[in-house]
Amino acid sequence: MLEQSIQELESGSQRRIQSASSLEELEAVRVEVLGRKGALDQFFKQMGKLPPDERSRAGKILNSCKQALEGALEARKQAFADAALRAKLDREWLDLTLPAPGPRRGHLHPITRIQRELEELFASLGFTVLDGPEVETEWRNFDALNIPLDHPARDMQDTFWLDGGNLLRTHTSPVQVRGMERLGPPLRMIAPGRVFRNESVDASHEHTFYQLEGMMIDRDVSVAHLLYFMKTLLTAIFKRDVTVRLRPGYFPFVEPGFELDIKCLICGGAGCPVCKQGGWVELLPCGLVNPNVLRMSGIDPEEWNGFAFGLGLTRLVMMRYAIDDIRQLQGGDVRFLEQF
Amino acid sequence: MKFSYNWIRELVEGLDAAPGPLEKLITMKTAECEGIERAGDLLERACAARVDTVEPLPGGHNVVAVVDAGRYGRKTVVCGAPNCRPGLITAYVPVGKKVVGGVESDGMLASGAELGINRDHSGVIELDSQVGAPLPGCVPDSVIEIDNKSITHRPDLWGHYGMAREVAAISGRRLKDPVDMSLLPQGPGAIKVEVEDFALCPRYSALVIENIEVRPSPLWLQARLTAIGLNPINNIVDMTNYIMAEISQPMHAFDAALLRGDTIFVRRAKPGEQFHALNEEHYELGPTNVVIADAGGPVALGGVIGGMESAISDGTTKIVLESANFQASSIRMTSSGIKLRTDASMRFEKAQDPANTVRGLARAIELLREISPGMRIVGGVADAAKAIPAPAPIPLPLDWLERKLGRAMAPAEVRRILESLEFEVKDAGRHTFSVTPPSWRATKDVSIKDDLVEEVGRMIGYDSIDPKAPLIPSVVPPGNPERKFQHELRDLFVDLGFTEVYNYSFTSEEAVRAFGLDAGAHMRVANPIASDQELMRASLLPGLWKNVAENAKHRESFRIFEIGYEIHKRSAELPDEIPHAVAAIYDRNGDGAAGLFEIKRVVECLLPGAEVCPAEARPFEHPARSADILWRGETAGRMFELHPRLVESGRAAILDLDLRTVRRLSVADFKYAPIRRYPSSAFDLSVITGLREQAGKLEASLASFAGPLLESVQFVRQYSGPPLEEGRKSVSFRLTVGSPERTLSSEEVGDIRARIIEGMRGLGYDLRV
Ligand SMILES: [Zn+2]
Repeated sequence: MLEQSIQELESGSQRRIQSASSLEELEAVRVEVLGRKGALDQFFKQMGKLPPDERSRAGKILNSCKQALEGALEARKQAFADAALRAKLDREWLDLTLPAPGPRRGHLHPITRIQRELEELFASLGFTVLDGPEVETEWRNFDALNIPLDHPARDMQDTFWLDGGNLLRTHTSPVQVRGMERLGPPLRMIAPGRVFRNESVDASHEHTFYQLEGMMIDRDVSVAHLLYFMKTLLTAIFKRDVTVRLRPGYFPFVEPGFELDIKCLICGGAGCPVCKQGGWVELLPCGLVNPNVLRMSGIDPEEWNGFAFGLGLTRLVMMRYAIDDIRQLQGGDVRFLEQF
Repeated sequence: MKFSYNWIRELVEGLDAAPGPLEKLITMKTAECEGIERAGDLLERACAARVDTVEPLPGGHNVVAVVDAGRYGRKTVVCGAPNCRPGLITAYVPVGKKVVGGVESDGMLASGAELGINRDHSGVIELDSQVGAPLPGCVPDSVIEIDNKSITHRPDLWGHYGMAREVAAISGRRLKDPVDMSLLPQGPGAIKVEVEDFALCPRYSALVIENIEVRPSPLWLQARLTAIGLNPINNIVDMTNYIMAEISQPMHAFDAALLRGDTIFVRRAKPGEQFHALNEEHYELGPTNVVIADAGGPVALGGVIGGMESAISDGTTKIVLESANFQASSIRMTSSGIKLRTDASMRFEKAQDPANTVRGLARAIELLREISPGMRIVGGVADAAKAIPAPAPIPLPLDWLERKLGRAMAPAEVRRILESLEFEVKDAGRHTFSVTPPSWRATKDVSIKDDLVEEVGRMIGYDSIDPKAPLIPSVVPPGNPERKFQHELRDLFVDLGFTEVYNYSFTSEEAVRAFGLDAGAHMRVANPIASDQELMRASLLPGLWKNVAENAKHRESFRIFEIGYEIHKRSAELPDEIPHAVAAIYDRNGDGAAGLFEIKRVVECLLPGAEVCPAEARPFEHPARSADILWRGETAGRMFELHPRLVESGRAAILDLDLRTVRRLSVADFKYAPIRRYPSSAFDLSVITGLREQAGKLEASLASFAGPLLESVQFVRQYSGPPLEEGRKSVSFRLTVGSPERTLSSEEVGDIRARIIEGMRGLGYDLRV
């Protein structure tokens, strides 16, 4: 009799738990059935009046009923909590296609980019990076480089002169002089920097541009060594195997002096508009350092010699990014600069 | 410099390389060729023709001419030349048929300019040849253009003979000397020459020639000069130009009848001496200029240009032919001084060979026999020269040569190469040659053994040298901390959203004035390229200002920076070049406050712990928005808003950092501080004060009253408006206190708080507690 009543309570309560639509309803069921004066409690009280053998049986049934209802209540509560969290999170929907706030990363100037790449490259080959001033003495820019006052080579460079007799360096070569004076032999150095030529500006000419001068002074440096370094460097710069050739070129601070050409990377030497159908592109002047230059920087040319080269950094940048107007490099237009 | 292929071929026996391959050989072994141009292509098919009849063609200046064109037969051509008349012998070229003004014109009658003989296009050329004959000595040519820069060190390559010598050496052919020295007359000269200073004019040779007939040069001579870009004038002038182009010896002919006295003086010009040159200009000369003078004054500016008063004219019958040598540096100075570069000065600047003067005269005699057949030489060569020392032999150790080139060299090969270039080679002991350069290479070009490396290297071909890695010790190169620092700074700016710009090192007076700077304190360019580039920048701000103005036209907002050098005049040898970093944040919208605080954030990122101290504004700064940046006790820069009148629309916040100071202060070494083990306590305080009271000042005062147990003061917020009175604001801070040794008791914390409140009140602040 009691047993049946318990079973009825359990199944009735289970139905109410499952159909509860709120935590409040659930709590009402809990208080009514499992509460201190709830229905189950009433059964426990009645149980005391039963004979011992029936009592233990009823106890078991009551306990299992209590456990089942407690479990169902807990599960139902959790379901409510889960649903509430789901609803809350759903309300937190974000439109992730909206743009992110704050400034974007800026851009390095293309000359900075290439210059750094070369600095790292040369450093890996044991070259130190040296700097010199934009305003130089006539001595370091010309005389110390074996370009005396009456030398026709001074025609080759249209120099900006400053009141007081100094000048704006026409090449980065004065930094070689500074390097030899300061560090002495043996020496491996490069000098990237801003140089100036007094010429009018158009799409392919600038009065301000960048060079990278390099020099190695050691014992018994030969044309073969120069070729080796140039080939190694250019292969790294162009990220592919390059074929180089030397032909005579005249620069007073080297003897012999060369123009270094590379086999056209566009056509592979067959001839195209870039190489003006010649198959070769003139890239940089270089040569073995003239003994007079060494002597003027206090280095004994019978003991030491070396090679030097000058890379047109601006030109390399223009080649790398196919820039067709040199003026853009110092034009300060962010529409141009943000592309790098 | 232009070289005629035909001319070179005359001077190199059996040369069979075509112009294209020859150009490549010259480029690889001697000097850079810039291209080949054809000259006188029409000459291939041109022949002399007689005009038989001329009928006017209605509606223009053209006429219809019927000509007898020899092997081409009778032709009808339409011709526009004013000198087209019956009986005229001119040049006919079969260029095909076309209809002109309704008449079929078969071929053309050509002008001297069209044929490439001279520059005359006033009418068709007038000939005195047989009908049907080709134009005498005139054939098409290929002109090889050599880059002048690549031959500045080679005086001999400013003439065809010098280039022919290279070609002969390259191709293993024999060189033919166009000069026959036996033609020179013996005996004393018919004119006296007095050279004042042989340093300026090492040699002056002259020859007097009479019974000259001045007339146009033969067509072959005109064509040759025209091909290489010289303008035919008359036979005498053309002859001097021809010799210059052939053996690089500039020459000049005076009309002997116009010279005063019997002596040519080579002397320095007197101060203020006037000279009327052949180019119709008047020059005022001085002692740095060398003049050729007669008894009456200058008749030529030595080595540069002849004088108008003694110039050759159609009536000239007797000439004094000058063939001289001048000091290169003196010619250079004169030429750049009067801003006149001539074909002569260009050559003398390269230090010509004094041995060449009499060769020029010998060549002139041979040419004059053809171009002025009745000429007679008067007397011998007047030749004033200082003793020219023989070129010194250069010892050439062959093992050294091999080490320099980086390849093995057979001694016989070295000898062959040097001898082919007319160097004298003698054995001088074991593996050493004694090499004497020829006179035309010894003036400046070749003097040390390194010069010989080039001669041998270029002739064997540098492509015969294999690249080889040197054996050198491996060392870590010395660092460049300045550059490293700047690169790191660049990365920081870029990470914070700034784009790098490069500006010129030049600035203008106008920009300098706009920034309240003193133009006189700037280094000035003596020869500026434009008026807005006449000063060296002593601040990077004007450049940045321009960038802001330009970019504001296209963009609502942007961030830019530049790292460059300020150039400051000083009394020392060179100016002081101070590295600076400048940056700008521009926004077309807003009141500019956000940009300034972004700049401040940049400052705090770059210089942790920097103080921003409001300072009196400079004229280009927003009068209420400028501050010095103090870092580690020193002024390291400035931040401000650009004065709104300098910006068309929008606002620009600016940063200017002195990187020399920043880097000096950056290198401080430090050790870590242990993390605090005891909890600290925090409390908030709000200070009620005037609207323009600086939060930074309040913070400093709070900190000073808090004492040594203060860990940090942090600004929380500020507020103005009700219930505060008008003109008052409340600024709230969170103060954190603690001790590294223990946990503070609530009484201790309360005491600190009370001390601060009391202190602040003592300063006259109202505190909301
Ligand atoms: Zn190509």
